[in-house]
Amino acid sequence: MRKLLWLASAMLVCLGLIGCSGSEPDVKNTQPSSETSSADTAQREPTAQSDQAQTTGSEPEALTGKVVVYMPSPAGLADKLAAGFQAATGIKVEQFQGTTGEILARLEAEAANPVADVVILASWADGLSLKNAGKLLSYAPANSDKVYPTWKDDGNFIFGTSASAVGVIYNTTIFPQVSADWAELADEKYKDQLAIPDPEKSGSCKDFLSGYLNNKGETEGWAVWESLAANGMTVPGANAAALEAVTTGSKGILVAGVDYNAYSSKAKGEPVDIYYPAGGTVINPRPAMILKTSPNVGNAKAFMDYLLSNDAQNLVAKAYLLPGRNDITSPNRANVSDIPVLVTDWDWMVANAGAIAKKLNTICAK
Amino acid sequence: MPEPSPKSSTQSVPSRVYFWGRRQRRGLLPSLIGLVLVVLIVLPIVMIFARAVMVDGRLEFSGAIRTMTNPENLTTISNTLLLGLAVVLGTTIITLPLALILARTQLGRQKWLDTVLMIPFMTPPYIASMGWILFMQKRGLFQQLLPSSGAWSEKFFSFGGLVLVMSLHIFPFMLSILKNAITNISANMEESAAVFGGGFFYRLRRVSLPLISGNYAIGALLVFVKTLSEYGTPATLGRRIGFNVFATNIHQYATISPIDFGRAASLSGVLIFICMAAWLLQNHITTRASYQLVGGKGNRVGSKKLSRLSLITAWFLIAAVIIVAIGIPYFSVISTSVIKLRGYGLAAGNFTFAHYLTLFESLRSRSTFLVSIMLAISSASIATILGTIIAVTVNRFKSRLSKVVEAIGLLPEMLPGIVLVIGIMLFWNRIYRFLPLYNTIGIMVLAYVTLFLPFTIQYVTSSLSQIGENLIQAGRAFGGSPFYVFRRITLPLLVKGIFVGWTMTFIISFRELVTASLVAPPNTLVVSTFIMREFEQGSVSVGMAMAVICVLFTTSALSALSRFIDRQKKPAINL
Repeated sequence: MRKLLWLASAMLVCLGLIGCSGSEPDVKNTQPSSETSSADTAQREPTAQSDQAQTTGSEPEALTGKVVVYMPSPAGLADKLAAGFQAATGIKVEQFQGTTGEILARLEAEAANPVADVVILASWADGLSLKNAGKLLSYAPANSDKVYPTWKDDGNFIFGTSASAVGVIYNTTIFPQVSADWAELADEKYKDQLAIPDPEKSGSCKDFLSGYLNNKGETEGWAVWESLAANGMTVPGANAAALEAVTTGSKGILVAGVDYNAYSSKAKGEPVDIYYPAGGTVINPRPAMILKTSPNVGNAKAFMDYLLSNDAQNLVAKAYLLPGRNDITSPNRANVSDIPVLVTDWDWMVANAGAIAKKLNTICAK
Repeated sequence: MPEPSPKSSTQSVPSRVYFWGRRQRRGLLPSLIGLVLVVLIVLPIVMIFARAVMVDGRLEFSGAIRTMTNPENLTTISNTLLLGLAVVLGTTIITLPLALILARTQLGRQKWLDTVLMIPFMTPPYIASMGWILFMQKRGLFQQLLPSSGAWSEKFFSFGGLVLVMSLHIFPFMLSILKNAITNISANMEESAAVFGGGFFYRLRRVSLPLISGNYAIGALLVFVKTLSEYGTPATLGRRIGFNVFATNIHQYATISPIDFGRAASLSGVLIFICMAAWLLQNHITTRASYQLVGGKGNRVGSKKLSRLSLITAWFLIAAVIIVAIGIPYFSVISTSVIKLRGYGLAAGNFTFAHYLTLFESLRSRSTFLVSIMLAISSASIATILGTIIAVTVNRFKSRLSKVVEAIGLLPEMLPGIVLVIGIMLFWNRIYRFLPLYNTIGIMVLAYVTLFLPFTIQYVTSSLSQIGENLIQAGRAFGGSPFYVFRRITLPLLVKGIFVGWTMTFIISFRELVTASLVAPPNTLVVSTFIMREFEQGSVSVGMAMAVICVLFTTSALSALSRFIDRQKKPAINL
């Protein structure tokens, strides 16, 4: 029996070795990974030093080592932010990119041994949920006083360092000009031309719908969406797939489409355009926050500072997102002052958004 | 002749088993394998299912039961089952004639067909369905080519279209199993039937089909189970037509806030239950209809020369499958990759190779491609070694324990990938302090091995079931040690099955998306996540260009490999 156990553990060790050795060539051949691994070994010393520095209490702590950031798309922006921060501070950024859902799933799966320092999500409601669950660390980054007042919470836990809004995106080869308000899209001339992103997959569409219903009241609000559904509105998929349907002309109009995708498509020369209906829309700040479990708190704070720096805010603007600071505007898209906004209560929205998203899918499937 | 065994008199299993030339106690190997499987598969599954039934540290089943018995699930269950059965039927219709043609006629000599017919399986499901959508949708490529057809192509967006796309994606699985099985039927069998006056269809019905029904059951189970746990196609095409299945619901609980791993696990419990039932049924059929076709007697592969007319029909059939399964989706994929502005469709002057240049530019700065290849090779190799050992051991010991081992080995196939992946993350993150594998490339290899072990087990089992006991016994009678017998008889006979298993695992690891998008360590991008990122936020055309390059690479690598293996093949293998 003892022999068996011994053999078993030997086998386990072998397996572990196989796992590692199988990956070794990858590490050598991967540029990003090899950088990480060499940085890992190189940084072991500095980290120890900075630990010492902390214990001896020498004040401006030397920032070295790494910061682990979980960011949603756009990918180009995430890469640029990582590179910019690294150039400015010398701190290595390890980033995991995914959808808001993938990031949340990953955070949940690694709860036992947390890895991430800073998290950015694409939906303000999801940021509020993390805050309410007590998972965040309070820190007021430099320049946070310039952030729009509604894009931060009162405890300095979450900051909308960038934002998107939803609008109506249309294919200009099918409709040269559209300016209808939400309810007017139920008109006969838009019959079977309407699409909407799946609100159960698109956080911005979900937040808009709940904001709309919060503002108009449920009876009046649902009457509008039911009339659009009756006008042949379909759900082609999450944000990208829904925009895809309009770009390729399968549908003429994307209702509640996220704006920055449309701006970048338009800039490429695709026949799409976007407007914000006069009835008002919801601006969705993309919350950035430090996790309470962050292993590199100092670096995490530095990264938050960086996110609100001039450099980072300009990168945000270049990616067709709304910058979080009110003193920086974007030259290539509608700015906050140009967008008609619905007055909404986020707490109500967080509580009701799930059921609303589900109901929208149900009425569109009929 | 088997050694008389003192311990167990009922089975013709040698009491002492020599493995790797070492004398060991019987049952040691199965327990060892069992242990590895427990760590790889059982513990991760336990970790995630604990989320379903543990509330504040104590067992609480009411929540899980409520999730499972939710009346809304009834529609999902019936949808899921309906889809699974329809896809099994669809693949059978596509596969059976192809397998007969390739195994029994001179067309089998066209080795390139083997690789080409594998392409649908190399194509990631979400790309294939996107290809179909782009082709069939309103103002899609079909309507651009044939404007006079009206809205005819939009009929594709229905249950039938979903079944078609899924069957076309998965049929290579069934094909490789059936073709191998039919090839192993000696021509003697059919010829004896012919001598006694059996006509073609009589022979098919009474000789060939019954002989392969055991293997068909294995193939059908794989297709059924894979369809049930498949996410890509139902998520892209199924949701669009309002056809919800379990896998999409499970994904929703796992990756859409509020994240609830427990509910995802509870729902997959229902799925496991259905799949286990299907597995028991398959086992029953396979044991009843297992024919040891590979024996000591010369096994002539019956290659019939077809008449001119039949030959044309056969080629026509193959061409039709290739055009529908590869031609249509790849027409969309390739044209998307060379279209300048997608809003203007197929129009003169709207074509460019710029997307490929962009792609090469971004590939030069990252080693996405290389990482994916290394991942696929190491995962496929480890999974194949492990899978072969498991299948061989299970087959030799035939004890209850080994049946359990086999069942565990198949579990990953019955769960939607995401559930097991989250289990793996929960488990390896938890033991990070003891074994720091989480957040390295190692965890990806490990996850792929865990997920794709069932393929290798099934492929080796399928070939094993055809090897006659008499060959092994002959080897033993002439004094070969069990290890010698394994090395010189069993293994050479299995090589084909093992190679196919390796190939399948390589292909599927190369294109795997769900696992990579959750478990990849920071700053690591593989082919699938690269494509998805382009689809989500970058340029769909660049993503499609990447898909084209990947398929070109996989196809040429595999055909080079199979040519190499063919050349290395010793005559001894061609029994």
